[in-house]
Amino acid sequence: MEIKLTVNNEKRKVNVKPHTRLIDLLREDLGLTGTKEGCGKGECGACTVLMDNKVVTSCLVLAVQADGSEILTIEGLETKDKLHPIQQAFIDTGAVQCGYCIPGMIISSKKLIDQNLNPSDDQIKRALSGNICRCTGYVKIVDAVKQAAHEIKSGVK
Amino acid sequence: MKKQSKDVKNRPTSSGRDSKEYFRPKSKKELKEILKNNDILTIIAGGTDLLVSNYQKLYKIDKWLDLDLIDEFKEVKIFDDKIEIGSMVTHDRLVRLEKIKELFPILHSAALDLGSPQIRSRGTIGGNIVTSSPAGDLLPPLLVYDAEVVIISDQEERKVDLNTFFTGPKKNVLKEGEILEKIVIPLKKDKSRGVWKKVGKRKALVISSISLALNIVFDKDNIIKKAKMAIGSAAPVPLRIKSAEEILIGQSLDSIDYIKVAKAAAKQISPIDDIRGTAEYRISVAKNITKSALKEVTK
Amino acid sequence: MTKKYVGQNISKVDAKAKVTGKADYPQDLKFDNYLNVKIKRAPYPHAILKSIDLKQAKKVDGVVDIITGQDYPDLNKFGLIIKDQPVLIGIGEKMRFLGDALAIVIAESEEAAFKARDKISLEIEKLKVISDPFNAIKKDAPAIHDDIELCTDYISQDIGKQNILVDHYLKKGDINKGFKEADLIVENTYQTQHIDQLPLQNEAGYAVYDQYTEILKIWAASQWLHDTQADVAQALNLNKDKVRIIQTAIGGAFGKKEDISVHLHLALAAMHTKRPVKLVYTREESMISQSKRHPLTIKAKTGVTEDGYLTAWQVEVFGDTGAYASSGPAVVHKGMYHCTGPYNVANVKGVSYAIYTNNTYGGAMRGFGTTQMAFAYESQIDIIADKLGMDPAQFRYQNAYDTNSTTPNGQRLSKSVNTKRTIEEAVKLSNWKGESEK
Repeated sequence: MEIKLTVNNEKRKVNVKPHTRLIDLLREDLGLTGTKEGCGKGECGACTVLMDNKVVTSCLVLAVQADGSEILTIEGLETKDKLHPIQQAFIDTGAVQCGYCIPGMIISSKKLIDQNLNPSDDQIKRALSGNICRCTGYVKIVDAVKQAAHEIKSGVK
Repeated sequence: MKKQSKDVKNRPTSSGRDSKEYFRPKSKKELKEILKNNDILTIIAGGTDLLVSNYQKLYKIDKWLDLDLIDEFKEVKIFDDKIEIGSMVTHDRLVRLEKIKELFPILHSAALDLGSPQIRSRGTIGGNIVTSSPAGDLLPPLLVYDAEVVIISDQEERKVDLNTFFTGPKKNVLKEGEILEKIVIPLKKDKSRGVWKKVGKRKALVISSISLALNIVFDKDNIIKKAKMAIGSAAPVPLRIKSAEEILIGQSLDSIDYIKVAKAAAKQISPIDDIRGTAEYRISVAKNITKSALKEVTK
Repeated sequence: MTKKYVGQNISKVDAKAKVTGKADYPQDLKFDNYLNVKIKRAPYPHAILKSIDLKQAKKVDGVVDIITGQDYPDLNKFGLIIKDQPVLIGIGEKMRFLGDALAIVIAESEEAAFKARDKISLEIEKLKVISDPFNAIKKDAPAIHDDIELCTDYISQDIGKQNILVDHYLKKGDINKGFKEADLIVENTYQTQHIDQLPLQNEAGYAVYDQYTEILKIWAASQWLHDTQADVAQALNLNKDKVRIIQTAIGGAFGKKEDISVHLHLALAAMHTKRPVKLVYTREESMISQSKRHPLTIKAKTGVTEDGYLTAWQVEVFGDTGAYASSGPAVVHKGMYHCTGPYNVANVKGVSYAIYTNNTYGGAMRGFGTTQMAFAYESQIDIIADKLGMDPAQFRYQNAYDTNSTTPNGQRLSKSVNTKRTIEEAVKLSNWKGESEK
């Protein structure tokens, strides 16, 4: 069946099977492998993307259900020659270790920062509660989100 | 052996063939039409349970019925004496509805504790009810608020008290071809106070080991006029704890025998040993959260 | 003088690739014309494979081929320390845990591969499953490995040797003297459980075989690049210079990726089909077939004077090493060496056993046996302090390692011994005022 959706601001028309998951559509059909699969059951958050500006685990969404929606993946954050401030903050604070959770972490962080430029530690933890980092780098990840929020707020970058 | 470029635009999909049926009705009317003409359908709402239980087996599903486009099922309507919540209202939306927070705080708290931000974006109140897990987070609050559900089929429409809806773990009274349309919660004049407790191995993304909803109405002299209590994950179905409720009614704040209520609660549940805790552990925690819920509500 | 690196924040070299999603983990690679691989695994933890029927599986649309042990009868066993794990279980051979591979399914799509995998039918003869190491060391327990006998002659006569992978012994001072000096002797048994390292990225990889140069390339995560290369070469009877292991980005390992995972099956599939092949484990598959933190049973007997000085510490450590050796021989005895924790004990005696069972094999995980021991010795310390009526912080402090302390295996600690300072800081930071004021 044919669906139409916008992925990272680009209109796409793709054929999917009823049982194609959004993550498979993104990774296999569109080649957007920045979105990771860690469990396939919505537990780890590595496959988090924004769908119509909501955080979703793309392993638990059927591609068909994304018909007509707007999807943002990690590949859509970077502008032509500049990293998104959240990406830069994750590098600067040393929040990246093995890196497998990072695309999902950054997407969940973006959703939070879009709504709240002054997030408290608790608000950050709650916003990232669906994303697991097994290297246990949460302290620096929280630092990264704070730094990013601060920089976006003060318009430094 | 070159790596294929990732910049290919609209690369033709490898999964193009479309052999099976996928229905996406846009209205209740279309839905009834589909129900009339098809037998065995796999119904998908938010998909957060269905895609988990059918992991790597999704291809085996022959006919899908997707409720996601039925706007009527996403409505929340407030009347003088009741509130109607469409079955396709997501947890995320439930959390953000001011009216729910004000009128049904336990339901609000439970929705806030459910899964993760990602799950709350997709999961629905109807899905939580129809999945009928004894651990379903919204179920104890809905039970104490005397919720009813409206069930439709191509032929008829019926209303079922949620207390009689669940028949076993992941089992309920829904028959083939029946769909949960909405949840109806009566609005009561009495001002009540409620508490939601959830115990699990983590704070997020956890199937509760045990949960408790308590809602109490005091009269003007601070005597308990009405009491409703329900416990999840401690019996084959989410359970109203009527024995505890009976003890509470008529008591004043300082006369409540916490231990007696807790024991009554522990007696009525029939938990099992599983990966989320032993029966013994659950009974002991049931007592403790009953006590702490009572202390909180009377504070 | 300005320092370039020391004391400076240095960004990780691959951080930018990782925050943009461009870093390629094995499952992110894409080769032209690649095939998908799935593994049919043991349906029962201890059984003999009688027959394997591929007819229905091969009929699945998109299946290219299915490899079984019959196709490659000359493969060698592999393993990090002891080569005891078969690449494929052949007819008449024994499966020893649920992760054992029986067939390699190769198909054009992933869906076809797992459809076919589920259509393979097997005939097996079930054997008694041993899931408890204490059953494994009974005299009449069946041997899980018939051909491996590594245990020493020192082993106790009460123990059945047939499932002991290795036994190790530890001796410092005179244990009998130590217990004689003690005013109180405390004995307890501690039990830990299997833990999965759970790196977020599941095992995955690609392999490509060039039939003209006969070079086999494998893109898959490994914590021991050269060991993996050597192990692949010996298992498949290849020359080492024909095997290339190419490290991609790794999504965490924590010990789990020390062992071979996808490598051998990918290699066989690539050589068999002469096409690039891809294999990605599911989370379940990763949990079932790759290593775990060892469950250890630790029997500890500790002697202490009434004024709170440790005089003797004796342990017996039973490690459930599962179906295959992996790092088990090293983990279990390393754990034993840490039996007293950071506390001075003049007289120590220990014995450890790594025991085969039909559970998923134990391997490396952060700490390599020492975290399990910490649970035992710190619990033991708390229990003793309680019995002596002593403040547990003080009890720890007066027994703690200092410069020139010696460990149970006789190592003199000559520098950087900060146990006492650590206790002081912990007491300060936690505002600890003693047990009674908790």
